[in-house]
Amino acid sequence: MAVEAPEITIRPLADVDIDAITRIDEKVTGIYRPDFWENRVAYYLRRDPEASRVAEQGGRVVGFMLADLRGGEFGLEETSGWIERFGVDPEARGKGIGRKLFDALAEHFKAAGANTLRTFVDTRQKETATFLEAVGFGPSALTALEQKL
Amino acid sequence: MKVETTRIPKKYEDAVGHWVKHNFQDLPLLEKYWDKYFPSDDAYCLCAKLDLSTSQTQEVGDHKGEPKAEDPSQLTEEAAKHLLAIIRAQASTEFGSIQQHQVTLERSPSDQDKFWVLRVMAEELRHGYQMFHMLTSRNWEPLAGVKTEDMVEDVLAMETGSHVLEAFNLPYDSFVDNVVFSGIIDRVGKYQLTMQKVCAYRPFAQSMPPMLREEAFHLATGVVPMRRWLEAAAQGDAFITPEQIQKSLNKWVPRGLEMFGDERGGDTNVKLGFKDMKNRDAQSKYFDEVAKLLHDLNLRFLRARYVSKSPEDIEKMLATLLRERSTVEGTRYDEILKMPHRNFFRRRGEPSFLMVSVEGDPIADVEDYIRHLAQVLPAAYLASRDMAQYRDLVRKVASGEVTREDAAKKSPMMKRKADSVCPCAKGVRWVDTDGGAEKLPQIATNEGTTGAPTFHCP
Repeated sequence: MAVEAPEITIRPLADVDIDAITRIDEKVTGIYRPDFWENRVAYYLRRDPEASRVAEQGGRVVGFMLADLRGGEFGLEETSGWIERFGVDPEARGKGIGRKLFDALAEHFKAAGANTLRTFVDTRQKETATFLEAVGFGPSALTALEQKL
Repeated sequence: MKVETTRIPKKYEDAVGHWVKHNFQDLPLLEKYWDKYFPSDDAYCLCAKLDLSTSQTQEVGDHKGEPKAEDPSQLTEEAAKHLLAIIRAQASTEFGSIQQHQVTLERSPSDQDKFWVLRVMAEELRHGYQMFHMLTSRNWEPLAGVKTEDMVEDVLAMETGSHVLEAFNLPYDSFVDNVVFSGIIDRVGKYQLTMQKVCAYRPFAQSMPPMLREEAFHLATGVVPMRRWLEAAAQGDAFITPEQIQKSLNKWVPRGLEMFGDERGGDTNVKLGFKDMKNRDAQSKYFDEVAKLLHDLNLRFLRARYVSKSPEDIEKMLATLLRERSTVEGTRYDEILKMPHRNFFRRRGEPSFLMVSVEGDPIADVEDYIRHLAQVLPAAYLASRDMAQYRDLVRKVASGEVTREDAAKKSPMMKRKADSVCPCAKGVRWVDTDGGAEKLPQIATNEGTTGAPTFHCP
């Protein structure tokens, strides 16, 4: 008899997610960087815990998306939802977790009055770029530039 | 969340401002350095915030599906009095925690830790202000039989030792308490606020989401420094050790468990539609969450000590340490954080005054039990009046002179000032009953008020 997989639930970010997020990042990048994630989670919690979400399956965090609502940067006066970091546990991929996280955030930002979602992507990271395209991101008039020093 | 901000009438705002001058002297410091420690965050706002998108229909209880009350006059006398007790307790915790934090704030090992706690204190002040909005924006007097001014006065007159809940009557021993309190006791606040989101009195329900949003960072203010301290300890720093953190946990977790009320209670809250969980259910969830937090803290400690070990090997090592209660690969059992047993050091609720060790083992002899407490609680806390009273009471329970039930009713009261609480000695009350009848506009403005804190919404 087939065993049904536990349902995936999406909830706001919490302080107790630091370890799980650090672990997902470690699985994806191979780098253990707890200090970095402690700082980022604390930052997003103080900004707005509901603007960042985690996905849980069977009581275990299997994905996260960290974002906030802000404006006034890069000459953009309009307040926009900015997605900075996201990740899905490699063992839990293929279940639409990224899409569920994104939909929850989009709904939150829309309710908060934002008309635009923004993010940056390293186009060399094909998987990330493909995901962002799949959830509806397209090219922006705002282009990321850099200069080596 | 669609949030409306509002302010309380001037005489109450003046009273809060006066209270701040005496109890929260570092608030102006936060204003000065806000942009340095919290760049790009919205400015702090001392105002009441109401989430207008809150349900208009009762979500739980005997009147589920009926409209929520918008005014106390729509509540029964029993319900109004019950809710007022909840509001009073909530307000007491907000002002009480500021009084506790302020004493040891300056001892913080880093400026970041200090300003994070300062922000927590400022937001607790806003939460207290929010509760005063509950008391002062509607007329409770016909149902409560108490004047609004006296209800506000009652809360502002409380000091460490005379607050409603015991967790707010224990002075901090060091900055370790500032941090552990934020991670452990504020977590109870998260549960209470979450349960109260459904409240059948809509203005109270509307108050919860903005408070919860702020509470999330309060928990990080506890958890992140604990993680950093454990990392440092794992690498040899001898100043803040896991043993110190464990002792602080042993001090606060029992008080946190008691903040949910007696394990057998909570039916009235659910029946009246004020909360959506009974005490035991909420307490169990809280217990599990704190246990998970300690598990993660232990992993942080062990991974910092054994950097070349895989996460899986660290998990196995932690399991071995906890199972065998002995030294594993050089790490001692007492370097690992343990969840204090639910029945340990309890003064209220089902297990009140049972003599069990921090690990839940029964202790038959009262003097052995007292010696055990001396080993597992912070040294500075042992030399407190609170502990002296507890020791005397537990001896009376052990000798049969007092029953456990009666002992549980004797809340330690270190201070109780019924009157003349303002140290200025100009008046005997925080709330000025003679002047200040003028009301502020309902929507927040830039106008400051004499004696009031300066932070307000633009």
